[in-house]
Amino acid sequence: MAAYPDFLVTVPTQGDGRDPLRRDRGEWQPGARRPLPPFVTDLRPGASSAFDHLAQVGRAAEIAAIGGAFVPFDSAGEESLVVAAGLLRQSRHLRVVAGFHPGIATPVYAAKFSASLQRFTGNRLGWQLDVDLDPAVARSQGDFLPGADRYARAEEFLTVAKGVWHEEGYTYEGRFYQVLAGGFQSPNSGLPFPRVYLTGTSPEALALSARHADVHLFTADQDVETGIGELAAQSAQEGRPVEYGLRLPVLARDDDEEAWAEARRLWDLAGGVGEGLPDPDPRTRLWGGFGRIAGPGASGLVGSYETVAAGLRGYLGQGVTTFVLESRPHIEETYRLGERLLPLFAKEIEHVH
Amino acid sequence: MSIDIYWRIGTHGDQQSLRRRVSSRGEWAPVVPGSITPGVRNGRRDGYSYVEHMADVARASESSGFVGGLLPSFPFTDDPWAAAAVLARETTSYRFMIAYQPGFLHPVQAARMSASLQRATGGRVVYNIISGGGGPAQLWWGDRVDHDDRYARTSEFLDVLKGVWSGGPFDYQGRFYQVEGAGLPEPLARQPFPEIYFSGSSKAAIEAAGRHADYYLSWLEPFPALAAKFAQVREHSTALGRAPKFAVRIDVLARETEQAAWDEIRRGWAHVDPAALRSADGDSVGWLRSQSFVSWPVRDHRELEVSPNVWGGFHLLRGGPAFGLVGSYQQVAERLDELIGLGVDAFILAGVPHLEEAYRVGEEVLPLLRGHDIRQHSPLPPVSVTKGSI
Repeated sequence: MAAYPDFLVTVPTQGDGRDPLRRDRGEWQPGARRPLPPFVTDLRPGASSAFDHLAQVGRAAEIAAIGGAFVPFDSAGEESLVVAAGLLRQSRHLRVVAGFHPGIATPVYAAKFSASLQRFTGNRLGWQLDVDLDPAVARSQGDFLPGADRYARAEEFLTVAKGVWHEEGYTYEGRFYQVLAGGFQSPNSGLPFPRVYLTGTSPEALALSARHADVHLFTADQDVETGIGELAAQSAQEGRPVEYGLRLPVLARDDDEEAWAEARRLWDLAGGVGEGLPDPDPRTRLWGGFGRIAGPGASGLVGSYETVAAGLRGYLGQGVTTFVLESRPHIEETYRLGERLLPLFAKEIEHVH
Repeated sequence: MSIDIYWRIGTHGDQQSLRRRVSSRGEWAPVVPGSITPGVRNGRRDGYSYVEHMADVARASESSGFVGGLLPSFPFTDDPWAAAAVLARETTSYRFMIAYQPGFLHPVQAARMSASLQRATGGRVVYNIISGGGGPAQLWWGDRVDHDDRYARTSEFLDVLKGVWSGGPFDYQGRFYQVEGAGLPEPLARQPFPEIYFSGSSKAAIEAAGRHADYYLSWLEPFPALAAKFAQVREHSTALGRAPKFAVRIDVLARETEQAAWDEIRRGWAHVDPAALRSADGDSVGWLRSQSFVSWPVRDHRELEVSPNVWGGFHLLRGGPAFGLVGSYQQVAERLDELIGLGVDAFILAGVPHLEEAYRVGEEVLPLLRGHDIRQHSPLPPVSVTKGSI
């Protein structure tokens, strides 16, 4: 069990806002941005772009000493690789994990693009390969490959990407990809390959992770314990270690009462007025109400910093070492997590001189 | 009429909230896990200094609708000229209101720095000229000039600064400054001259403000006292054929409901040291005035609410002036509207923590302002001071 787990925060791909339904930061809902009255000097028009807000989110993670930022693939949102490049450029320490799916490019091109990013940013890029996209979304991106074949292709994608990355004169003949005498040359060779994050609980997904993932990410609504058990057995067979991660929303405040009052406020704003709040799971402390205020299917932790930390420690005990947290509004909540939650995981509070 | 609304950028770190008077942002606090600028990564400092957090506050307030930020200056703070020079590169439209005391910097050098900053920023420099709170702080800077003489010096300082601004040669023989053949070189000369926000509550300050201020700036005080102060400045200015505008520096604690706002204050109040409930040092007339509006000693935090939403206890929860506004978003907007009705043309608002509250006030309070109508329709209240004197 790691003494100090790795924390990442999720970057909003479709704007950000103070409340669950508000996206008035980042130009995704321009109409929602309440204008200043006409008699108040407003110097802003034309002075800011959508990316300025994302840059602020990235800076908040950097300044609050969060380990990394996760930019998910979102076909209806900002382009994750471009956002990742910008966030990396504006930070010194932050690792940025970009989500994308194997259909976006040939594996050679994805690797080439990534080699440049690694060179430009001190090797801080990570890949989260989205293999099981919603089929309608996949088709909208020009990708018609169905079912388990997607994992077969992802396997080839990662094999080829790593092949050209590490080996000059690389040749590959597969079902989906072919390369003849490929491979990168200096200065694009010899770099660390992006850290690979994979997801899913199907047998195909776990088998892929056993062979290719550096970190396998679960969500809190999945059976994390069983998943870790199966993947641990498979990765032992493959003879390579896999780390485990968990992606979940959190709502942490000074005390439980204040956190639940905020949960109630957000619940009401998201259309829950008059409905009782669902109870958190007594064993895992997970609260399913995030499904309404954060996104479909989301389960996460609500409570004081200590309560949320205790929930995360439960997962640490199961072997989870990476937490990808999500909380809105992203800038304010990222500061909060960095200042209040993460220090609870420092082995001991030491003055640093 | 256009109302300019500034935010404040703290130059000596920040607290996470008003609940605990503990700084955790900037190098004014021990650097531990959870610290901001510098932060801690893998047991080591992350290499950032407080200016990186200031940059976050500048961008947050720029994007949420403020025209600029006040950079305060005290012995224990970062320097506002240096901060403005750095932060100018991090923003696009944001103005920097640089607080400074004329005695500490030669007017020719002040002109050179200002002109270069104007060139670097496209004219985004604003002055907040302070002539001094006096007492130990003044001697800390190595300044022995008496309180009233400091205003005479400020007048000479501005005479010289303006004299060299358009190029030379400029000669000046004053009590405090002498120059010969002075003048900014091309192409520094003839930049737009920074707007002057002029502070000071004493008689000497108000007379000097009459001569030099584009905006007369005051801390928030109970509204009738503020109105009386403005009337005095107006009177002195009119005699000199000038008409300064008025600005107020206000701390704001605004929440969705009034109850939630007072709950925040109550949480902070629980940690106030009763011995700290009264202190006044230095020869600042403004500070003595602010203390005179409250009947000390005080037992409950609501006893410091001298009129609806006007609360005089902020200095107990964070460093800085005493008065600010506490209430719902709507109530705070209404109080600001009333001040606009009193003749206020600009605000410098502030909230703790400055980053998070910039978003909140910009998104939730400023859009509710209706000041325009109110100034047209309500008469100025009677000019009288309830307690205290100028």
